[in-house]
Amino acid sequence: MFDAALLNIVVYLPLGGIALLLAAPAGQDAFVRRLTLGLMTLQLALVAWLYLRFDPTVAGLQFETRLPWIASWGVHYQIGLDGYNVLLVLMTAFLGPLVVAGAFTAIRKDVKLFYSMVLLIQFAMLGTFVAQDLFLFYVFWETMLIPMFLMIGIWGGERRIYATIKFFLYTAFGSILMLAAVIYLVLSLQSTTGITSFAFADLYRSQLPLDVQCILLAAFGLSFAIKVPMVPLHTWLPDAHVEAPTAGSVILAGVLLKMGTYGFMKLGFPLFPDATLAFTPAIMFLAVVSIVYGACVALVQTDIKKIIAYSSISHLGYVMLGLVSLNLYGIQGAVIQMVSHGLTAAGLFLMVGMIYERCHTRELADYGGLAKLLPVYSVFFAILTLASIGLPTTSGFTGEFLVLLGAFGAAWQQYELGSTLPLALASVAVSGVVLGALYMLWFAQRFLFGAAKAPHQPFGDLDLRERAILGIIVAAVFVLGLFPDEPMRKTELAAKQFQQLVGTSRTGVRAAGEPGRGPAASENGAPRFARAGTGSAP
Amino acid sequence: MNWGSIATLMLPENLLLAGIVLLIGIEIVMRAPRGELALALLAVTAAAAAAFWLYTTGAGAAPFPGHFSVTPATLLGKAVVLALAIPVLLISRDDFAAGPFHILLLSSLYGACLLLSSDSFLTLFLGLEIMSTPVYVLVLLAYRRPESAEAALKYLVLGGAASAALLMGVSLLYGGSGTLAISAFTQALVSTDTMARAGIVLVIVAFFVKAAVVPFHTWAPDAYEGASIPVTAYMATIIKAAVLLAAARLFAEGPMRGSIADLLALLPLVSIVWGNLAAMRQKSFRRLIAYSSIAHAGYLFYAFLGAGPTRFEAVLFYVLAYGVMNLLAFAALPPHADDAARDRLDSFRGLFHRAPFAAVLIAMAMLSLAGIPPFPGFVAKFLIFKNVIAAGYTLYAVLGLVGSYLGIYFYLRVIQLMFMSEEQAKVTHGKPGALTLGAALACLAAAIVLGVYPASMLGRF
Repeated sequence: MFDAALLNIVVYLPLGGIALLLAAPAGQDAFVRRLTLGLMTLQLALVAWLYLRFDPTVAGLQFETRLPWIASWGVHYQIGLDGYNVLLVLMTAFLGPLVVAGAFTAIRKDVKLFYSMVLLIQFAMLGTFVAQDLFLFYVFWETMLIPMFLMIGIWGGERRIYATIKFFLYTAFGSILMLAAVIYLVLSLQSTTGITSFAFADLYRSQLPLDVQCILLAAFGLSFAIKVPMVPLHTWLPDAHVEAPTAGSVILAGVLLKMGTYGFMKLGFPLFPDATLAFTPAIMFLAVVSIVYGACVALVQTDIKKIIAYSSISHLGYVMLGLVSLNLYGIQGAVIQMVSHGLTAAGLFLMVGMIYERCHTRELADYGGLAKLLPVYSVFFAILTLASIGLPTTSGFTGEFLVLLGAFGAAWQQYELGSTLPLALASVAVSGVVLGALYMLWFAQRFLFGAAKAPHQPFGDLDLRERAILGIIVAAVFVLGLFPDEPMRKTELAAKQFQQLVGTSRTGVRAAGEPGRGPAASENGAPRFARAGTGSAP
Repeated sequence: MNWGSIATLMLPENLLLAGIVLLIGIEIVMRAPRGELALALLAVTAAAAAAFWLYTTGAGAAPFPGHFSVTPATLLGKAVVLALAIPVLLISRDDFAAGPFHILLLSSLYGACLLLSSDSFLTLFLGLEIMSTPVYVLVLLAYRRPESAEAALKYLVLGGAASAALLMGVSLLYGGSGTLAISAFTQALVSTDTMARAGIVLVIVAFFVKAAVVPFHTWAPDAYEGASIPVTAYMATIIKAAVLLAAARLFAEGPMRGSIADLLALLPLVSIVWGNLAAMRQKSFRRLIAYSSIAHAGYLFYAFLGAGPTRFEAVLFYVLAYGVMNLLAFAALPPHADDAARDRLDSFRGLFHRAPFAAVLIAMAMLSLAGIPPFPGFVAKFLIFKNVIAAGYTLYAVLGLVGSYLGIYFYLRVIQLMFMSEEQAKVTHGKPGALTLGAALACLAAAIVLGVYPASMLGRF
């Protein structure tokens, strides 16, 4: 009971923070910064407490709150932690104070609005992760767009307006189709089982014919795949990343992209298991294309922010690959990879921001030999680079290794059944590891070594604030790399549940003669609204 | 039924009537009339409260059987329409100090109340005309630009054409059924008789004109632009709300099938798409709101594709959410000595730095109109599309949703201008008056309640 209240406090703390910021007198920028940092740290402490209290032996929701919200529609306010979201919530709360601290010197304009937006997006992201009701999820999901839109558009670079409108329109298009699918799904649940509910747990029991499942998965999947982003729906990402302020990039890469993969894991695949199985080769193919394409494009970029942006596409390809492998290694690896990428990408984007503040350029060609100029910076950069390519002992290794293990396990099964395609795809995915090492190491080599050059010399090495931020991230990277056991225990039951949900067919083929169970089922047993049409049917 | 209970059941109308009579008296008797705004506000607030009170008592009877009846649903509709008029009055002080404005507004509201309670085509027509005629004058009243006259004339001619279409349709329906009761409409919906069907189409067309559905929308952008802000707000919210609620009463729970359903889906769909596309190119805020309202008329008529019992609630919630957010935008619009400059979208540039509170409020209104959660516009849209899909029109619902997606861009552009663009030339705004501020805060409070706890207005019937 107490912990459930605590989870609510965690989610709404940023909103309270916004109220405090609005009440703060004008011109008190330093106070605004410190207040936001304090709130984020408090939030992290509360989340850490909940994480420690989270019982890995309990399947299902913990710290649950369920209250009627729109009773006549069957909508509930339902939030809670489970194995799916507990790590992501921890990661989101972990990145919060770092994002705030990272923006201390970079943001000088409209400081109050900026930190309000950071808090608002934190609220929406945590809400999206903990929501256990589809309506609530959708509300949080869409709310996320607004602060991000403003953040890129107000504090972004040269082409910020183009980038932010592209970002909004891209993601909103996916959401619109998802909205139609949400409505259809809930109505079909109502007509087949008589339950009017938006709760995930109820929706997991919906029975839909395969063709309907495929259409709905396509609608949900489009929305999620845009967020991930999967090639070929990725074109908004480089623009958004390049134009966004550092804090925006960190949030985008650190958390927002995981919304897509989390959506697949929590909703897309378990809601439509039969369609998932039907689409598995296609999803696997797109995941591998994302891995290889992202890596190849990253290789030829000249803008350091774009290199990391494209590397995100590649790394999230692994997450998708792990999820569709549908075995325990792959699924758990995908979760670890999500968190790991959240840490390394956030760290790398923060580092790009730090060098940009000093030199005001992101052109790789302008830099060289930073190891001599900025030794501390270079050490951190090298560590994060190695973590990003998955060197053992770092978090990247755990994630990628498990994903590939899972993918090969699944592919081998398919091979024994006579299908060679998955095995071929998994083999190509391995080449992504090599490509990843290639582009990141080449990048680091040009950036850190060689003849020392950088615009706007001389400039100081990292100050205490920056060292603290990066030190914390690097520590987390190693903790997750060396002791992945503990977080994996917390997610294990959820991974098993995911596997079981996706593994159970729910096409809902009724025995002949059994009457429609739902009140709204018409004579032929099909849901009444399932009649596709223009309405001119008799 | 005795006169006492008739007077009670018609309390909202009677309060408005008393207000009108008193206002006219003041105008005649006093040399320098004062306190008209307060009186008008009092009358409208009292009428809204009376309607809501009657609704809570569950009043339902027919003071004039066959012509005028009240049910809890109509009372709630009246309460919503009248409550929406309060912010309009509050923001009117800068533009209208003189009495005629208040008399005309209250007369128009009286017509709206009559419209919502009409049981026969006679009262329906009366209500519609009493509601519309004062608005023709209101458009002209704040004569600031030559365009106002043109706008008023356009509105008058097209409004007259709509009335003619309605009368023609009603005569055809009367010819077929021999009754003026509006139930003849729902009966004719299932009829295969050509005369009845022609009558239905004419009546629907009349409603399409009044609600500005493509291709009967051409009056709206000009009239909205030509009128002054409070009148634009009045047309965009209350007239639209009353017309749609009247349509919901007319369609009642009548079956929707065949070509009538297609008519009610296709033209609104075109309206959604065209309204949203045309809004992208607008340079005037009022024209933008006009095209936005054309698109919203499309969503609203979609509600009639839903199953019978769901229609009234969907329309009511939608007009409330839509009205509150529109009024919020108009109330937050910073005042400016030059009416045309106030209206230009270019003058929105950098508004956040000049008037942060106003900019945030307008941004909220735009996001709500775009249907982005957590604002009430989303819940309203969700309800309508849920009903449409539940009734089996999945394809139309998906097309409508994609059409609504087209609208996001121009709402975002307003936000972009306010928050992300530098000022081009120095724009000096006046300070908003206390009443305008009060209207903005009231709309904000209503928006928050509707957005956070929509159940407060749902599941009431």
